[in-house]
Amino acid sequence: MNVTHSAMTAIKTIPLAALALVMIFTVADATAQCRTFTKKRCLPALEDYVQNDNYNTAVLIPGDEAELELTFFGDRAYRLLVCGHPVLGDLTFQVLDSRGNGIYDSSDKEKDHFDFRVANTQQMTIRVQVPPKEAVIQHEGCVSIMVGSKG
Amino acid sequence: MPARRQKAFKQIFHAVPSPIETAMLLERSGIRFDSGALHTLDNAAGYTTTELQSVNLGIYAGDLSYSVIFNQNQQSVDYLNTCRRLCDGLGVGDIINAGLIARADNNRDIRDSLVDIVTDTFYSLNARFRENGMEEVSGLMAAGGWIEGVYLGTRSLNTSTDDLKLRIAEQKMTLENLMGLLRSYAPTPALKGMMEALTPVEAAFAGVTITENAAAASAAEDGMVVISGGPEVQYDQATLDAISETIAAVRNQYAK
Repeated sequence: MNVTHSAMTAIKTIPLAALALVMIFTVADATAQCRTFTKKRCLPALEDYVQNDNYNTAVLIPGDEAELELTFFGDRAYRLLVCGHPVLGDLTFQVLDSRGNGIYDSSDKEKDHFDFRVANTQQMTIRVQVPPKEAVIQHEGCVSIMVGSKG
Repeated sequence: MPARRQKAFKQIFHAVPSPIETAMLLERSGIRFDSGALHTLDNAAGYTTTELQSVNLGIYAGDLSYSVIFNQNQQSVDYLNTCRRLCDGLGVGDIINAGLIARADNNRDIRDSLVDIVTDTFYSLNARFRENGMEEVSGLMAAGGWIEGVYLGTRSLNTSTDDLKLRIAEQKMTLENLMGLLRSYAPTPALKGMMEALTPVEAAFAGVTITENAAAASAAEDGMVVISGGPEVQYDQATLDAISETIAAVRNQYAK
C-alpha cells in the first residue's frame, strides 16, 4: 500500500515539478525576449535622447495597466516612449503630476511618445493601458516604458 | 504567444535617475571635477559578498558616469574595468566583456559614444538582474549609484552654485523613488540593511520642504511642450550640511 501510495505521489510530483520547471524557463525566456524586443524595436525611437538605464519592461495581457513614478529634472528635455508588442494593439498612456492631475493623454493622438521639457523638477506618474479584448484566448506581449533625456 | 494568465493586473515600476543623468546634472550645475572624491579602484578586489559587490558596483557606476561626463577618458576606462571585475563576481561578467572594454577604449575621446556604452551596459545589467530574479542586486546597485551621485554633488557645498544646492535639495524626490524601489522587492537582510543605512539620510532630507502645486503643460516657441508649475523646493544651509554629512557616512560605510 505504501509502495503504491509512494508511486502515486511520485507520479503526481514529477509532472508538477516538470511543469514548474517549464514555467520558470518560459517566464525567463519571455523576459529575455522582452529585452531583445525592447533593444530592437523601442530603443531606436529614443533617437538622440540619453536613455535612463532602468528596465521598465514587463509581459502584459489585454486589460493590464502599468505605472511608473519618476522624478524629472528642471530645464531638461525628455522623451517618454511607451512601446508595446503589436499583438497587444494600440496602447494608451497618461502623464500625471504629483497631485494626480492629468498633464498629457495619448488617447486622441497617434503617437507612442511624448516629448516635453520640465520647468521645475517634479515627480510625475506615467500610466499605461493595454486595451482589453473580447477573445477566448488572450495573447501576451512585451510593454516597455522608456525615458530618455537631453539638454 | 497565448497568455499564461487570463486575469488583468497592474504592473508597478519603480525607477531612479541613472548615474549618467545625475552626473549630467552635476556638470550643468557648475561643479568642478574632483578626482579625490572618487572611490578607490583597488578596493574592488576586497568586496567578496554579494551585498558589497552590488552596492559598490553602483558606487563605481556613479564614478564611471562622473568621469565620462567630465571627459576623464583614461579614468572612465579604468572605472569600467572595475565594474567588470564586480560583475564577474556577481555572475554577469559576460555583459562587461573584453570586447566592450576595447570598444570603450577605442572611443575614449568621444564622450557621446562613452555615454551610449555606459547607459547601454547598465540597462543590460538591470535587464539581466530582472531576468535572473536578482532583485536584491538590482536594488543595491541602484542605491549605490544614487548614494555616489549625491556624495559627489555634496563634496564642495560651501563653494557651490545655488543651482547645485537646489539640485541636491531636489534629491529628496529621487530618494523617495529609491526607497519605493527598495521596498518593492522581497525584504532580504542586505536590502533591509540598506534601508536602515539610509534612514539618517532620509532624516536629513526631511529639512527640505516641498510644497506641491499643480503642474500645467503649454507649448513653447520651439514647439516643445513645457511642463511648468509643480513643486516648490525650500531648504537652508544647515539642511544641506546634514545631507552632506549623512550621505558621506552611508557611502563610506559601504565603500570601505
